[in-house]
Amino acid sequence: MGILKRVRDGLGIMLAVAVKELIQFRRYPSWVIAVFIWPLLFPIMSVFSARALAGPEGQALHAFAALSGTTDYTGYIIVGLVMWMWLNMTLWTLGSFMRSEQMRGTLEATWLCPVSRLGVLLGATCSQLLISMVNLTVSLIAFRYIWGFRIVGNLGLTALLFILSAAAVYGLGIAFASLVMWVKEANAMVFLVRGLFMVFCGMTYPLAVLPGWMRIVSRGLPLTYSIDGIRTVALAGAGLADVMGHIAALAAFAVVTLVAGFVAFRWTERRVLRTGALGHH
Amino acid sequence: MNERQDAVVVVGLRKVFERRARRGLLRRAQGEVKTLSAVDGIDFLVKRGEIFGLLGPNGAGKTTTIKMLCTLLSPTSGTARVAGHDVVREAAKVRSSLGTVLTGERSVYWKLTGRENLRYYAALYRIPRRKARERIAELLERLELAGRADELVEKYSSGMKQRLALARALLPSPPILLLDEPTVGLDPQAARNLRQTIFDLKAGGKTVLLTTHYMAEADELCDRIAIIDQGRIIALDSPAALKEGLGAKEVVRLEIQGEPNGLGDALRALALVESVAVRPSVNGAGTCELQVITSNSRRSIGPIIESVRAAGHEVVHFQVVQPTLEDVFIRLTGKSLRD
Repeated sequence: MGILKRVRDGLGIMLAVAVKELIQFRRYPSWVIAVFIWPLLFPIMSVFSARALAGPEGQALHAFAALSGTTDYTGYIIVGLVMWMWLNMTLWTLGSFMRSEQMRGTLEATWLCPVSRLGVLLGATCSQLLISMVNLTVSLIAFRYIWGFRIVGNLGLTALLFILSAAAVYGLGIAFASLVMWVKEANAMVFLVRGLFMVFCGMTYPLAVLPGWMRIVSRGLPLTYSIDGIRTVALAGAGLADVMGHIAALAAFAVVTLVAGFVAFRWTERRVLRTGALGHH
Repeated sequence: MNERQDAVVVVGLRKVFERRARRGLLRRAQGEVKTLSAVDGIDFLVKRGEIFGLLGPNGAGKTTTIKMLCTLLSPTSGTARVAGHDVVREAAKVRSSLGTVLTGERSVYWKLTGRENLRYYAALYRIPRRKARERIAELLERLELAGRADELVEKYSSGMKQRLALARALLPSPPILLLDEPTVGLDPQAARNLRQTIFDLKAGGKTVLLTTHYMAEADELCDRIAIIDQGRIIALDSPAALKEGLGAKEVVRLEIQGEPNGLGDALRALALVESVAVRPSVNGAGTCELQVITSNSRRSIGPIIESVRAAGHEVVHFQVVQPTLEDVFIRLTGKSLRD
């Protein structure tokens, strides 16, 4: 089979899976809450906590600025939360994709088709990407009108940091989906992983407040560079030279997590064929 | 698949599962590896255009065999070729030549309509869109789903879901079909309709390999049957030949009151008695059923009834019948298919 035909077939399969996932998504109306309402509610607690800590006249803002480089704590929190929400949705969607197919009994039927099994997972990734983009767009529009959030820096550079972050997160998501297929439990794994990222990546606070050992751990997580890089560009208006380190780190994370994701998927695929665990609940 | 090729050729196929024992939550017990030989070196071939059955009790190795043939499970050793392709080295070609229905109604998406399900799978089989539309319409019509093709599958009956799963398997027009317990969970009418569909598929030139633990179904549907027990094929022939293999044997069925503790052994000790199987009666009256295979029912019926009474049981009912496939199984294994 020629390479062009392979690519066309692969894209066709990804499209079919994505369309199927979106149709199913549409048929569970409560999921709309996750896309349209949750992003609006989620930052409220952190923003009001920050407002309370800043004091009635914002007396504590200088202390905050000394650690974070900005007095715009609302924007600071929103960037952290948006990136974390993206990670959270990716892990949930990709992790639960394989698991729910397994639980429904449709995973075996899908694997009986003469298609790339990784292509099927990438199709689910596409539908997740679309849903996440809607979530992100809704969030940014709402944050602009509710909290006055604005991106003051270079949009292209912000987008580049975001795309690199997304690649790293999807690599992580693919590895995560493989892991879930193996351990057969998505919830506990999602809670653990997203909890670690929430604590160590400086979602709502500067990393400078963390103890030394926690800062070392945070350097090993891609979201740390995503959140800090996007804050630096989008809120403080920094240029390319200021975030070259972030870009390099995120590119490296993207390569490592994508390769790790594909290797984990292939390994899991071979394992379930050997053990017969594909259809097990 | 060329004219002379057999549809499925299985040689020395084995599947051994390993389970490591665990101590506590995470720690593995060193050296404690339990092995289970689910399929233990089986050989058979399925001829083109026939309906071939794997008949055996639950846990006999039927589904494991089917899963190895459809590439969902890798064999521990041995070889299997489907439509001329090796199931390990040419897995994608095997999947292209096969339509497989496993565990029926759970293999389709309940939150999609019947038509959406088939459209999705048609894309996975890379059937061009226009051709897929025609094929889907044809299959929906043929399997009597056209009238409800645009309803969500969650509203379908078990029989409809099973027919939709079959339509999914037939989408790519495969020459060979693997059906794992196709009528399990269906009401008698739906099961009868599905059996007729299987006959129609055979008439249309398809090769069908199915598993079942229903003897009557195997007897009615299959051209040839492999009886499988504890991972091994213990007999393989046409249903008629398997029953003829019992020779001039007859089957005495007795329904007795109470638990037949030790009675089976007493009956087996009688002259002319070949084998005995005991199972609870399903009539809810606290009785048990004994199936006694004998070489001469006229001469053995008296001693049999005497033995039953001597053991303190009352004979509620008895009859002498011609052997069925279950009697063949009892003769070969000494136990009932339902044990």
